[in-house]
Amino acid sequence: MLDISQVYNINFLEEGMLSVIPEAIVIIFAFIVLFLTFFEKLSKSDNPYYLSLISIGFSMLYILMLSGRTIDGFYGSIVFNRFSVFLFIGILFSGFLTILMSKNYIDNFEVPLPEYYSLILFGVASMMLLVSSNNLIMVFLSIEFMSITAYILTGYLKGNLRSTEAALKYFVLGTFASAFLIFGSVFIYAATGHLNLYNIHFFIVNIASKGLVNFGDIKIYLAIGLILFLVGLAFKMSLFPFHSWTPDAYDGAPTPVTNFMATGVKIAAFAIFLRIFSLIYNFNIMDFNNILWMLAILSMSFGNIAALMSSNIKRLLAYSSIAQAGYILVGIIGGGYYGYSGTLFYLLAYVFMTAGAFAVVIIFENFDLMSLDIKKYSGIGYKYPIVAAAMTFFLLSLAGIPVTSGFMGKFYVFSAAIKSRYNLLVLIAFINSAFAAFYYIKIIVRMYMPDKEELIASLNGVQRGGMSGGSDQGKPSGDFGIVNGKINEELMIVIFICLFFTLLMGIYPQLFINFAHNSISSLWNI
Amino acid sequence: MDFFIKYLLSILIFFPLASVVLLLFINKKNEGLLRNLASILSLVEFIFSVYLFVYFKPDTYKFQFVEKLNWISTFGASYFLGIDGVSLFLILLTTLLTFVSLISSYRYIKDHIKEFVILMLTLETFMIGTFASLDVLLFYLFWEFMLIPMYFIIGMWGTGRRVYSAVKFVLYTLSGSLIMLFGLIYIFILHYDQTGNFTFNILRLYNTHIPINLQILLFIALFLGFAIKIPVFPFHTWLPDAHTEAPTAGSVILAGVLLKFGVYGFFRFAMPLLPAATLMLAPLVIIIGVIGVLYGALVSMVQKDLKRLVAFSSVSHMGFIMLGLFAMSAISVDGSILQLLNHGITTGALFLFVGMLYERAHTRQIADFGGIAKKAPILTTLFMISVLASIGLPGLNGFVGEFLILIGSFNHYMLLTIIATSGIIFAAVYLLWMFQRVMFQGITNPQIESFQDMDLREIITVLPLILLMFLIGFYPAPFLERIDPTVVHFLSMISRHGYVHNLIKLKMGLSNA
Repeated sequence: MLDISQVYNINFLEEGMLSVIPEAIVIIFAFIVLFLTFFEKLSKSDNPYYLSLISIGFSMLYILMLSGRTIDGFYGSIVFNRFSVFLFIGILFSGFLTILMSKNYIDNFEVPLPEYYSLILFGVASMMLLVSSNNLIMVFLSIEFMSITAYILTGYLKGNLRSTEAALKYFVLGTFASAFLIFGSVFIYAATGHLNLYNIHFFIVNIASKGLVNFGDIKIYLAIGLILFLVGLAFKMSLFPFHSWTPDAYDGAPTPVTNFMATGVKIAAFAIFLRIFSLIYNFNIMDFNNILWMLAILSMSFGNIAALMSSNIKRLLAYSSIAQAGYILVGIIGGGYYGYSGTLFYLLAYVFMTAGAFAVVIIFENFDLMSLDIKKYSGIGYKYPIVAAAMTFFLLSLAGIPVTSGFMGKFYVFSAAIKSRYNLLVLIAFINSAFAAFYYIKIIVRMYMPDKEELIASLNGVQRGGMSGGSDQGKPSGDFGIVNGKINEELMIVIFICLFFTLLMGIYPQLFINFAHNSISSLWNI
Repeated sequence: MDFFIKYLLSILIFFPLASVVLLLFINKKNEGLLRNLASILSLVEFIFSVYLFVYFKPDTYKFQFVEKLNWISTFGASYFLGIDGVSLFLILLTTLLTFVSLISSYRYIKDHIKEFVILMLTLETFMIGTFASLDVLLFYLFWEFMLIPMYFIIGMWGTGRRVYSAVKFVLYTLSGSLIMLFGLIYIFILHYDQTGNFTFNILRLYNTHIPINLQILLFIALFLGFAIKIPVFPFHTWLPDAHTEAPTAGSVILAGVLLKFGVYGFFRFAMPLLPAATLMLAPLVIIIGVIGVLYGALVSMVQKDLKRLVAFSSVSHMGFIMLGLFAMSAISVDGSILQLLNHGITTGALFLFVGMLYERAHTRQIADFGGIAKKAPILTTLFMISVLASIGLPGLNGFVGEFLILIGSFNHYMLLTIIATSGIIFAAVYLLWMFQRVMFQGITNPQIESFQDMDLREIITVLPLILLMFLIGFYPAPFLERIDPTVVHFLSMISRHGYVHNLIKLKMGLSNA
């Protein structure tokens, strides 16, 4: 007779609960925030905002307490290890910065507040679940969870046409991608008979080492499954042929949500891809690096060309995020300790530089399309020196100029790829980043070197004739920013946090490299 | 004092940055204080750098003032500083020219003074860092970030098509640098494959064995990065634009220091890291250099704009320096390095004078000038000295450098040297012709009627440069005796590889037979 306590081992359950504590904290707080809607007075105040921040802090605390351990929960479908810790911190930072940014932004709209914050918390929790999930079903569920919060948040500005359109587009395409994901999982299950990633891993390792005869049949199923799965994930990572939702969704969503999608969703999608790739893709089934190679090149080239041609800053950042996804992928292609830790490093760096850039966008956003045109950034370098300097720094970081985290990240992933002798790929990536510098610099030009004549003409409607270089000493010292920024404390905190980390990761990256190394080493500790 | 001398390089690098922090707290409106404080701080920086010269031991090629700290141990990158005879003088040149360009811009820069002085001092930090670092990653960090302050200086205070020029400057050099970074990372990885250690220590990377085919490819990669910076003939197109539109201070720094980085990069990185490819491709590089000499000179002759003329003369002079460097005899390399300093001093001075003319007449067209000699005798005299130094008149600095380059390379590349010599004649033609049209002849432009001579500040600006011209012209020994050991070591490093390389070829040939 089986004892009931043996089957439902209490320790086992306890361990399971322990493995999801950081997520559970966030979810509990998300519900608390949600319940605030019942109380009219509470929901109108700043309480949801503060509660959300507190929940992130608590979750961070629990992660620090648990860090260093490896906890398998729920029969191996959730694994909490050092790999998760690194990404949890990235995701929590992304959520934290998003919440800070949202405070004054979302007040401008007639939308319910507590729901908004609770959705962000749910989003954070889903991303954390995704990162730590170790089972194909769990992966699918968390991706769906994450996507649904993202759909709702994208369309959160009720009545705003562009927001609604973006949400619908994102939703339709996203569901399509989810279908690929589940279809891929089915094929993988059919081929291997397992859902747990570790089991699939051992199954493939076994088969590969024994060289069983019927490997051929399994191979086809597995290859189809993995390709379909890759398509589903590539959609979330916004790699080139599957990127089409990105510009519209990023553009239409409320800007803090855009930031959330650009940093949180991306970090989570890349993390789970990294975990799955290192566990079950990296075998002799077929050469996935060749596919990724092309995806990387296409993503960065397309992203850069499209960004070059867009004049809306949110769209520009959206396209640039497609290009950045291409660069991050180079790290995964590079592979090994070096490449994977480089990928993690780049992801963390990417969170801070992108969040910083979006915070500056929020400052100058006037809730109409015109204020997002980069032409409107003319002269803000003189009117808002600190904000503009910070923006310059973030843009330089995105462009990969040294002293910033972006350079270190690029250096890290590119050298990993050279180490694995993907020379052509890296050369193309380098050319791409030189090319990309152009559109980042274009914004800096707008901020600091506005065209005086053009500006005067657009202000007065007067067409000035050819200025024969005689306008002696350059420009007048008056300010000529058109956009009025709304600087508030929360946004400045975001900007300073992002500046601090972008600079620190650029000057002394060793701390973060050690951290990334540590977390990658746990990826192979099965 | 011991502490000061021991960490002198770090102090030199970070003192300007500390000054920037200080300046940040000064009110934007307080322009006089900002200017004066920045000038004084850069003077202090220059005085610090003189200590470098005083405490430098001249009789060794070994790196001095070495500082080494762990930085990114994962990549084997360290905060590794040190100077030899070559970087010593380049650092001195940097600090001097930063000071000179700061005091030269009292009249030229009228708005956004705070931003200007902050950018200049930031730029100084990164320039000194580039010359002082012996770690490839650290070097690249300083090297590339340097673009950004320069870009702002051109773009914010430039004239005419300033934005176009600034963006062109950044994109050009950035693409070159990134290709160069590719090459450097490749060497780093090769070193790892051979030894199992990640290191960016340049002294260790020198020992990497790279097959000759790969060396040639890597040399091309590094060549692109450095040649664009110099700039060597086909890659020079950013230079005239950037120089012409930049403010005077920007032009001085650009010509005086930034152009030196390319040559320094060849000297420190490309040639010793890839000796076999260097030996193989040297004739090609020299041909490109000589084309640059002639092209720069010929184009200078037809320029109507004063600044453009000086800018193209830089292309010509840099061609000379490439000739000397790649001729690879001790004398010619000595001459090249000395000529680097000379070019920084004389071209810097020329740009200062052009700036003064522009401040007074508000034009840079040669045709608009004429008859200034009567109005401004001091300016004419000092300008004349600089022009003659640039031409290479014996007794002034240009002569020493050019003479050494020419006699050094004559043995190895006779024909090319003879062709390059004509560059000096052309230089005399375009510079003297320009001088004659600007300074003498009758006054045609009414604005010249009220032309003022140099005031005390302007004389102080150019005086150190003029004095140096005479000093190097008459007594180059203190400079050459510090440069020489480094150069001899540099050549022995390359030729040792060359010897091994020949030996391998010999063996291969024998085994094939």
